[in-house]
Amino acid sequence: MTPVHQLGLWLREFMMQIPLPIVRGLFIAVPVVIMVWVWTLPRGETEPTDHPARWDEKLKWIATAALGAQIVIYCTF
Amino acid sequence: MQALDRLDITMLVGYLTLTLVIGVIVGRRMRTGLDFFLAGRRLPWWAIGFSLVATDIGGTDIMGVGGATYNHGIAAGNFDWIGCVPVMIIAAFVFVPRFYRMKIYTIPEFMERRYNAAVRIALTLCWLLFMAFNMGIMLYASGKLLEPLLGLSQTQCIWLTAILVGLYTFTGGLAAVVYTDVLQCVVMIAGCLALLVMGINEVGGVEELHRRVRDVRERQIENERQAVVDAGGAESPTARVEHLDLVLPVNTRTPFPWTGIFFGLALILSPAYWIGNQAIIQRSLGAQSEFDAKAAYVWGALLKNLIPFIIAVPGLIAVVKFPELQDGDKAIPRLVAEMFPSGLRGLFVAAFMAALMSSVDSYLNSATTLFSHDLYKRFLQPAATERGLLIVGRATTVALTTWGIVFALNAAQFDNSGVYAIFQTLMAFFQGPALAILLAGMFWRRATGTGAVAGFLAGVAMSVSLYTVNQPAVYTAFGWEPLFQIQDPYLYFSIWAFLTTSIVLVIVSLLSRPTSPEKLADIFDTSKSTRGTEP
Repeated sequence: MTPVHQLGLWLREFMMQIPLPIVRGLFIAVPVVIMVWVWTLPRGETEPTDHPARWDEKLKWIATAALGAQIVIYCTF
Repeated sequence: MQALDRLDITMLVGYLTLTLVIGVIVGRRMRTGLDFFLAGRRLPWWAIGFSLVATDIGGTDIMGVGGATYNHGIAAGNFDWIGCVPVMIIAAFVFVPRFYRMKIYTIPEFMERRYNAAVRIALTLCWLLFMAFNMGIMLYASGKLLEPLLGLSQTQCIWLTAILVGLYTFTGGLAAVVYTDVLQCVVMIAGCLALLVMGINEVGGVEELHRRVRDVRERQIENERQAVVDAGGAESPTARVEHLDLVLPVNTRTPFPWTGIFFGLALILSPAYWIGNQAIIQRSLGAQSEFDAKAAYVWGALLKNLIPFIIAVPGLIAVVKFPELQDGDKAIPRLVAEMFPSGLRGLFVAAFMAALMSSVDSYLNSATTLFSHDLYKRFLQPAATERGLLIVGRATTVALTTWGIVFALNAAQFDNSGVYAIFQTLMAFFQGPALAILLAGMFWRRATGTGAVAGFLAGVAMSVSLYTVNQPAVYTAFGWEPLFQIQDPYLYFSIWAFLTTSIVLVIVSLLSRPTSPEKLADIFDTSKSTRGTEP
């Protein structure tokens, strides 16, 4: 058993202490945080600036749909 | 397996003809290297979005993810969900616009502008090797699946695929790759969706699929436990059914513990792939505007949510229908052969070929771009004209296609742990280190070229060392336990390689001379945006 093995075992034991529901919360928190961040972006960063945006060019909404699907998926499975 | 009949072959030939026609039509516009490598920066977001998804889903994924789901469950879907969607959204608004504004051709070109020529060479060589081997693996996968379906030999199938892809990539460059990817993505989704719908219908619906997968797995786990007891082993607590869970514990029996998925995949391999992979980023550099480059990634992320349903869930259907398979990679071909009627089998074979071709053509075109720009023009012939680069690009396409064929014809000896595992192991060797130096280069002014080279080499050395030490022949020779408790621990390699690179990069950067402010201005002055539709 080398020091590297001992470090690995310690990390493994530590990670196993974290309950799975908390871990699942982490997987769900990732898209939630990114979704919030997307909505803080200025409109000029998420829509074309040389003409009024069509529905398919409003990237905040498209990103929200993509990340929302992630939240539903990780809540379900 | 049943061979294709006339209707199947008609569908397949129709698809292949349409692909070639698109490639040739687009190829008529090729005049310069810019046309060939970046489609003249004229690509719309919708085409790039489809192309991103099609490139990511290769033939190895249809066979490999379906097989991994058969063996280990729906957790294989993590690669297309948390392993793609979040980082694609971040890439769209943070990384892609910066690359686009710099008007670069390749990621190694960015590395030289940020660091130095040594970093560019190191990354170029790594990516070239990776893409060349990856192309070979994909072509090998084509031979493996197409052989029983087309009634041709494995060798003939490899030649057929390589020549088709090589022909339109040679003719039309990135534009042909992207526009054929659109067709290929649609065909791929149609074929896989048909398999999903028919499969769920056959097992009696989603609820019934859920129940029967659980029943089958509980029975199999009980049989395995009983076999251990019968052989005189200690009675262990009954393992839980993991086939229906995305988030698995650290001590899972699968290669997908949550620690590997979250830290290795979501935080390292996925950003490395969507931000630093030349084959992926190149199509956004060919966008007609910065907005198109961003929109492609965001729409691609939305489409990505669908992919595991159509390529992973059929693996669960196979668990119910054929619980006795020894090789998970055979699950999807068997499902197709037993469930699809005439015509639909042709559609699925077309979908598989589409998935395969869309990935091979991207790696072929990107490897060509890397060679032409980062080696030929940068170091061998700096005065090369745009016309000359077009010729070099096409010659390299021919050479790489030939290499891919030779590799694929000799790849059987490597296929002892599944094609998907091979692919991921190759990726893990240098993608973590590459991501570390890319992120440091974009966000830390004090990072230096010397630090980047030292960090990159240290990270790759860490990956290779971990891989080597984890081989049974090595750890038994030293009397050690395996370092990692799971099979195929490539997700863990990437974490340690990333951390090693980061630490070495920081230390060596702080000990070396800072990069000049003039050089840094090129990277960090991103206030000037080119939004809208201007080229």
